[in-house]
Amino acid sequence: MNEALRPFKDWLDYYPEKHLALSGHSPLIGYFCTYTPIEIIYAAGFIPIRILGESGPMEKVHTLAPSFICHYMRRGLEKALEGKYTYLSGLVQAYTCDVACGLTNIWAENIPLAFYHTLPLPYNRNPEARTYFRSILQELIEKMNTHGGRFSLEALDHSLKLYQQIRERLLDLYERRVSGQLDFSAKNMLMVVLAGFVTPPEIYLEHLRALVRQVQGRDDLTKTVSFPVLVSGSLIEDPLILETVEAMGFRVVADDLCTGLRSFYPVTGQGGDPLDRLINRTIDRFPCPARHRAKDRFPMLMDLVRRSGAKGVIFLPQKFCTPHLADYPLLAEAFNQEGLPHLLLEMEDSGLTEAHRTRLEAFLEIHGV
Amino acid sequence: MGKKESSQKRLQAAKDLNQLVFRYYQECLEAKTHGKPVGWMPPMNGAIELCYALDLQPVFPENWSPLCAAFGYTPENFRVSEGLGYSRDLCGYLRNIVGYVYGPMAKGGLPLALPEPDFLLSFGGGCVPAMKIFHILERRFPKAIVFSADLPQVAAEHVEGHHLTYAVSELNRLIDFLTQTTKRKLDMNRLKETVSLSDQASALWDEIMTYRRLIPVPFSAAEIGIMFVMVTRQGTQEAVDFLAQVRDEVRERAEKKTGVIEDEQIRLFWDNIPPWYNLGLLRAFEKMGGVVVAETYSSAWSIRLTGDDPIEALARKSLLSYSQVSCVSIKKRREDVLRACREYAIDGAILHRNKSCAPITLGQMDIQKALQEELAIPSVIIDGDHMDERNFSEAQFQIRAEAFMEMLKHKKGLR
Repeated sequence: MNEALRPFKDWLDYYPEKHLALSGHSPLIGYFCTYTPIEIIYAAGFIPIRILGESGPMEKVHTLAPSFICHYMRRGLEKALEGKYTYLSGLVQAYTCDVACGLTNIWAENIPLAFYHTLPLPYNRNPEARTYFRSILQELIEKMNTHGGRFSLEALDHSLKLYQQIRERLLDLYERRVSGQLDFSAKNMLMVVLAGFVTPPEIYLEHLRALVRQVQGRDDLTKTVSFPVLVSGSLIEDPLILETVEAMGFRVVADDLCTGLRSFYPVTGQGGDPLDRLINRTIDRFPCPARHRAKDRFPMLMDLVRRSGAKGVIFLPQKFCTPHLADYPLLAEAFNQEGLPHLLLEMEDSGLTEAHRTRLEAFLEIHGV
Repeated sequence: MGKKESSQKRLQAAKDLNQLVFRYYQECLEAKTHGKPVGWMPPMNGAIELCYALDLQPVFPENWSPLCAAFGYTPENFRVSEGLGYSRDLCGYLRNIVGYVYGPMAKGGLPLALPEPDFLLSFGGGCVPAMKIFHILERRFPKAIVFSADLPQVAAEHVEGHHLTYAVSELNRLIDFLTQTTKRKLDMNRLKETVSLSDQASALWDEIMTYRRLIPVPFSAAEIGIMFVMVTRQGTQEAVDFLAQVRDEVRERAEKKTGVIEDEQIRLFWDNIPPWYNLGLLRAFEKMGGVVVAETYSSAWSIRLTGDDPIEALARKSLLSYSQVSCVSIKKRREDVLRACREYAIDGAILHRNKSCAPITLGQMDIQKALQEELAIPSVIIDGDHMDERNFSEAQFQIRAEAFMEMLKHKKGLR
């Protein structure tokens, strides 16, 4: 492994222990969805930590949640019930999907944290929506301040700049991969992004700076590329999934994942006032199906396809994920009209099954070069 | 699937409901010939009253789905939507309406049908399937003018002034859209009258529900179809008249102590949306001495529209309606369910684990625990789906229902 990647892997492998140690002096706040305004959480003096589901047993969760919700949310609750998130000071969640909302409610009933807060984000982008957006951010700030936060606009400005620098580096890596200037596997890219969800941002930025310096022109990827693809879905939590896909002969040249591009693009928002910058970035984000129409997503996905040279699309949503599954037929039809082959694989847990591999092989045989 | 349970001892008013339903859909189909633009919209928000006040024809695709289930249209609709690539894991309302608009609606020939929309109130702020239904409808009906509506998804007990302010601004935006696109003027007196009628309907609804506290209960959850008027007719005299008729009949039954069954032994509570394809299942307990006397859903229609400002009243209703059944905190749900169980003297609860509705299903197990720990009320979980019969096993239901009733009777010393 590239030495510059090791800190990211370390954080992913050992974040529970690291968080426990951190929580002694820096309070941590959990969140599920990347629409959560982590910049405000950080500006208030907390470290925002994304809840990860990962692979593992499901035992306790059966007593509180049905089986027909996504693996990610079920495993997150399972881990919380196992006592793995006792170090959190609170949980802040932007309402993006019904299941995340419902599970946040179940957490609030069963996992004793100092506070819970859900942000009802606006769907529109008109002036009234922006004014409303500002008011719910103010509400969050007040809530955080009553739980030990010390928010200031100066701190938010610093936080926005910090996260902007992080996102610029991630986007730089991503763009260089898309344009073919950098051989950096999808597995490694995913590992780097995932590590960012569980690493304090200042530390993460340092690791990213080192990585960007070291991977200049490096070639750590197999050259046996036969089929460049765009991968679209919600979360992919196991980098081995993308490693498997690439080992089969695909090259993941672009993604539409909330563990990928959607989490770091755009890098910042316009506006002089820090809250405006945050609001504008959120409103202008690369669209997630939980909040946007397939018809608005499609041109952006096609732009990714064209810029990356993808010759096909692999849809990899979590099973039971309503936003992605509801958009799939519309996107599939649109890709058909463009003559772009695509494949839908629903992930029942965090990994690929033999059936998935067989379908990937068939897809490659039919459409690969 | 076996023969569906036939309903007995129905309210006369509930039988009249069939005519009201038919009349409503006829009105929808004939609207354009009377120069009324047709708008498709989600239920449970203030757009309904606005449309009636502006003499527009509101159509509710979500409400159409239970009707399709009751009339047996769903298998064909599901076949069409699944053929288009819509996963069986998606909400049955979504799969049904998508199948309908891409299948039978185009072919015609059904006794009841929906007219094509002139405008769509496409929605961000309900549940995700409700939002996605309208995204798909936008594609299906490209000539329809789209209004992108928004509403804060906030739990009822967390509604603050800024949520209401935004909801009011969205309603004002909607008024501008409707008046401009349909060339109508909003008469504020007519809107006040419409809102007043809607409030009268809610008051009647509450009054009707209070009779269910009586023993024996004068009508059961199997009559929940009467809420059709609350979904489609709020703000009309027809809804008020119908509910007054229901109230009178229920009151008369209550005065005569006429129960749903001869010997009411066990009083039951139903949580979650009922199985629309077989509401008779709610009567399955009656042969065993049980009556489903209350359910989660009915509280959604209790929201009063008070105050001098009709737009603010509608905005408040919009905010509170949806969060009565979804995006509601477990704390609030627990309070509501436990209060209902106390008020209605409930012996046992049936928790419908509904594959078509994750928002309402999530939290059920916490409710189950609270029922047992705080009120010593036992409950049973029934796996099913409010739209898709394929996700429901009648045999499993019968076994669980019988065992549950035996346990409840034993607990009450009835056997």
